[in-house]
Amino acid sequence: MDAAAPRPKENQGEPLPRVDARLKVTGQAHYPADLPTANLAYGALATSRIAKGRVTKLRLDDARAVPGLLDIVTYGDMDKVDKPKFGNSGATSIGPLHDRTIFHDGQIIALAVAETFEAAEEAAQLIRAEYEEEKPTASFDSPGTKTVAAAGKSPMFKEDVKAGDFDAAFAAAAVKIDQRYSTPTQHHNPIELFSTTAYWQGDQLVVHEPSQNVTGWKVELARQLKMDPANVRIVSPFIGGAFGSKGPMTPRTAIVAVAAKRLGRPVRCVTSRMQAFGTQTYRAETRHRIRIGAGKDGRITAFAHEGWEVTSRPDLYVVGGTSATGRMYGYGSVLTHVSLVQADRNTPGYMRSPPETPYVYALENAMDEMAVALGMDPVEFRRINEPKTEPIGKKPFSSRSLIQCYDQAAAAFGWAKRDPKVGAMRDGDWLVGMGCATAIYPSAVAPCAARVRLTSDGEVRVQCGSHEIGTGIRTVAGQMASERLGVAIDKISVEMGDSGLPPAPVSGGSISTASVCSAVLKACDAIRSKLFAAATAEGSPLAGSHNEEFDLADGKIVAKSGASAKVEDVMKIMQVGAIEEYAEFAPKGATPEALKKLYAGTPEFHGGEQDEDSVKYAFGAEFVEVRINRYTREIRVPRIVGAFAAGRIMNTRTARSQLMGGMIWGIGQALHEATEVDRRYARYVNRDLQDYLVPVNADIKDLQVILVPEVDHAVNPAGVKGLGELGNVGTAAAVASAVYHATGKRIRDLPIRIEQLLA
Amino acid sequence: MRPFVYEQPTDISTAVAIASRFATDDDQPTRANAQFIAGGTNLADYMKLGVAEPNHLLDLNQLKEAALRQIQVTDGGIRFGALVRMGEAADHAEVNRRYPVIADSLRLAASGQIRNMASLAGNVLQRTRCEYFRETSWQCNKRVPGSGCAAMDGFNRQHAVLGVSDACIATYHGDFAQALIALDAVVHAEGGHGARKIPFAKLHRQPRDTPHVETDLAAEEIITAIEVPAIPWARRSLYLKIRDRESYAFALASAAVALDLDGETVREARIALGGVATVPWRAGAAEEALQGKKLDEASAGAAADAAFAGAHPRQHNAFKIELGKRTLVRALLETRDMKV
Amino acid sequence: MSQPSALSTNGLSRRKFMAGTVSAAAAAPLLASRAEATAPAAAQPKLRQPVITSLRINKQAYELSLDARTSLLDALRDHIGLTGTKKGCDHGQCGACTVLVDGKRVLSCLSFAVMNDGKDVTTIEGLASTDGKLHPMQQAFIDHDAFQCGYCTPGQIMSGIGCVNEGHAESENDIREYMSGNICRCAAYPNIVAAILQARGETKGA
Repeated sequence: MDAAAPRPKENQGEPLPRVDARLKVTGQAHYPADLPTANLAYGALATSRIAKGRVTKLRLDDARAVPGLLDIVTYGDMDKVDKPKFGNSGATSIGPLHDRTIFHDGQIIALAVAETFEAAEEAAQLIRAEYEEEKPTASFDSPGTKTVAAAGKSPMFKEDVKAGDFDAAFAAAAVKIDQRYSTPTQHHNPIELFSTTAYWQGDQLVVHEPSQNVTGWKVELARQLKMDPANVRIVSPFIGGAFGSKGPMTPRTAIVAVAAKRLGRPVRCVTSRMQAFGTQTYRAETRHRIRIGAGKDGRITAFAHEGWEVTSRPDLYVVGGTSATGRMYGYGSVLTHVSLVQADRNTPGYMRSPPETPYVYALENAMDEMAVALGMDPVEFRRINEPKTEPIGKKPFSSRSLIQCYDQAAAAFGWAKRDPKVGAMRDGDWLVGMGCATAIYPSAVAPCAARVRLTSDGEVRVQCGSHEIGTGIRTVAGQMASERLGVAIDKISVEMGDSGLPPAPVSGGSISTASVCSAVLKACDAIRSKLFAAATAEGSPLAGSHNEEFDLADGKIVAKSGASAKVEDVMKIMQVGAIEEYAEFAPKGATPEALKKLYAGTPEFHGGEQDEDSVKYAFGAEFVEVRINRYTREIRVPRIVGAFAAGRIMNTRTARSQLMGGMIWGIGQALHEATEVDRRYARYVNRDLQDYLVPVNADIKDLQVILVPEVDHAVNPAGVKGLGELGNVGTAAAVASAVYHATGKRIRDLPIRIEQLLA
Repeated sequence: MRPFVYEQPTDISTAVAIASRFATDDDQPTRANAQFIAGGTNLADYMKLGVAEPNHLLDLNQLKEAALRQIQVTDGGIRFGALVRMGEAADHAEVNRRYPVIADSLRLAASGQIRNMASLAGNVLQRTRCEYFRETSWQCNKRVPGSGCAAMDGFNRQHAVLGVSDACIATYHGDFAQALIALDAVVHAEGGHGARKIPFAKLHRQPRDTPHVETDLAAEEIITAIEVPAIPWARRSLYLKIRDRESYAFALASAAVALDLDGETVREARIALGGVATVPWRAGAAEEALQGKKLDEASAGAAADAAFAGAHPRQHNAFKIELGKRTLVRALLETRDMKV
Repeated sequence: MSQPSALSTNGLSRRKFMAGTVSAAAAAPLLASRAEATAPAAAQPKLRQPVITSLRINKQAYELSLDARTSLLDALRDHIGLTGTKKGCDHGQCGACTVLVDGKRVLSCLSFAVMNDGKDVTTIEGLASTDGKLHPMQQAFIDHDAFQCGYCTPGQIMSGIGCVNEGHAESENDIREYMSGNICRCAAYPNIVAAILQARGETKGA
């Protein structure tokens, strides 16, 4: 097998090609802005050029004079619609056209709608606003910020975790560090542009928009438009990359829906790449202070992690990664605190491993510094601090294969050949450095519904309102049905990305495979039970046998004894042509309202740190080699190895691809990605892919992913830990450690760039 | 985007005549009513952004003069037709053999697709990618004369340290032009007053207090060819481009170097610097510093110091002075060590 | 070099103009001559006057009445309904809109459709043969899982074919460099390189 399709090891599924692969390579996969729509009108946004103040006047005459202009939606036109709400389904509480107040740069001030895209764009560019401008607050250190404690401000971030007496332990520690780290503003920049297409069929509203959360959006959009959610449908069959950016709905959706209603025809608004920086969410800028104290033997006795995060004026978005970093190692004592710093910025949001990417970066960079301070190999340092139970609640880990990950990745990487001395490794004019770091991500799961139908001729249809954002969820959901129903994958169709389907939770937090597969498993098992019951009924072919002794394979019910009966024949006895089961999965520990909340678009998350019995995480270890030119100091990553353990792997091909993508994201976090803010105006400067750099093909050379076998029955019925976000946690710290190893320079502020290494 | 009338002149004189008809006396080519388009990779981008707003777009791709599309190798050097695409020139065997610095500068620019589209003349005339220039909501003296410069005290990591003025610090981002200015290329142009030759070094204008005046060209003038003289020792030449990522990014600093060596002693050096200046930048002081010297790390360093003696850093781009020097040192040493 | 076609005597290419204001574009395969809509060659074009543009797309002829501002990308997507070609940035920064024009890979977002009059355009929809057999590059992308979300994939595949035909797929490093104009945010890069290596031989012959 080639690299893309790793041979499955224990508890790992076959590397089947993606079920939608053919559609994707032929241009037949229809992303929301591709869906054919008759009589379409085109919308274009006009946005604010100031970050704080009021729009005093909008001059629309020039725009209205553009031939083909149909309508301009602006202040006053949204008055009959409720303002957005901030939460998992809503990106912000700012209703940009409800109020002339400007809260941030790039805020929507109008939507121009025209017969053609060209006319709409021309008109939007001709909309002129006059402002009453105020001096905005850009970020940390700007005058006018307001700082509040984060604990309790988000359902996802309940408390500042702590354990023991940090102050005493830190004071007494033989070896200690006290350092500060920072991560920049970053934007997801999926390659698919954000778009909304809306049309009305009587009082029914249909919205085509790339979404990671069709059920949540349906409910939230219906609330804003004061409609029955049953009359709102969100359609998102393919999503061109999401990474969290399409989790919460933005205010644009309702504005386009209103435009479509006013015109009585479909309206499509594709947001420009530049406009997306101000109208969508982003990864908040963060700062960290980390203190670690240890004995000379390398055992950590004291760990403190303080974080500061930028958010908007109206919404308290919490990044909050201390619940994971506070449980990472066997610290003797733990102190954490997270603060939110409000500025005149748009509201941040979830971006791939939202809490862990910045917080684990800080922790793991500090761990490497501590290993240096101790004169200890960084892998050994982690091995020494491997815990039996997590330090906060003293709960066991449902499974924890971190050391196996380190061992396998270190062996594949050739860590033993590393000369630990700083600057000791060279290749001609290139300084060589090697570093490593831990990856961690909570293994959460949420309620989910699915409908599965098996026909007598062996065709299966799986329906679930989850979202194919590139993870391979369609494929693995199909694989689960294939396995449980004994039907080949090419006989299975999987429908997703439509709020008319059985509800699934938001495709975020790496919960989808666990949640969706658990629901599909439950529906399939209900079909199995019906079939087995019928097959063993009086007068049936397998009468007298017990249910649990059966399996389904190749269209047959097969008993342990070897006796079998065709599914087709059993369905004849049942006098049915198909069996269809609707299953609602609720994880262990779910509240009595859990399923109701799923339909309301506000699903409960379980697992991670939240369960009583154990904490649940997936782990990994990443090793990187960097090369830095001795003259010009550009940094390249010719080699990266990651080993990850994430419970059951449904499909080694899609799992590897996701982890690989995550690792490359990590390289981007380390070396490339930063949204620059003009601090005078609180405005984004590099609002496009010319200046917001992400890795390109030439940046990636030798990359290896190792899937470490792990069995965990406690996480969820499917035994699956998510891994879509695991891969890019820790990578940036591994790069920073390698840069230190090559140069002796400890870079604590991301991204690491040439200028930091020139001095 | 503003609407425009699209026309396809089929010979150079017609193209010039149409452009002249719409030009006013003080028109800069970039602000003219009628503007030329070839590959479109720069102009179409700026039209979408509302930075360029021509009423007439004159598509040069139907011009019938065959030489516009040819690369001619002669005893006198090499002549690039203005409409030759970057990719074609980059892959041209004789260009690679005689002038590695030209081939490198083309190959390291943009992407494969853009190089297939962009014409050579269009490439040398590409306008700055300054973020504050690109977006019409910022103040920009280059885009709107006299409106101010938001980059001066803004986020100016990309910006120039050489050839700057109080009005503009926007970087000239092109690569090919650095090779051309180093090799004393000559530009052939045709306009309302007939044909003329412009030394490449005179084509671009430093911003001074008129940053909107970017070139020496008149509004109706068309570049027809770029001629590079024969320089036998230009086989010892290269273009080194330093950037944040490995490919598809503008230079933070770059150096075009050609060396005529007598053993390890420099008979003549040609040096141009990219990513650090407002226009294609010939580093004459560095060339002089090297003449007659043994080329080693010390003399290269002294040349680099000379090259950046007049540099003016701003808040975020001060590192470009040190990076630019190191880029030049590395480029000089790598050129010295080339097997020719 | 042959002279460009459709030359007239006044030094201007004989363009065809359609009377009337902006209208929803006709996007039908060329069935009948539109001579009745063709103005005399000497007529001066006017602002906002639609321009008749002939394109040969995936071996089928189209005659479109277009706003001169329409990019080749928007012409394909909005006027012809070939939505396989994607808009990722609309400014030449991502490569998602890559198509082949007269066999060469270009960015359709930076090309006005009218500038492609008379040209041969190949899009992702034109690769598979009529019996459904995939182009070797398409099959290789499936075999090597060279995509995740799939959005940049049509551009990657068209660019991969262009890259091979240009002779720039001779080594892995070559492929990496010459494919760097196609951003894959899911970061399937190593798999894309493997796919192009696999399809290289068959693509050259295709």
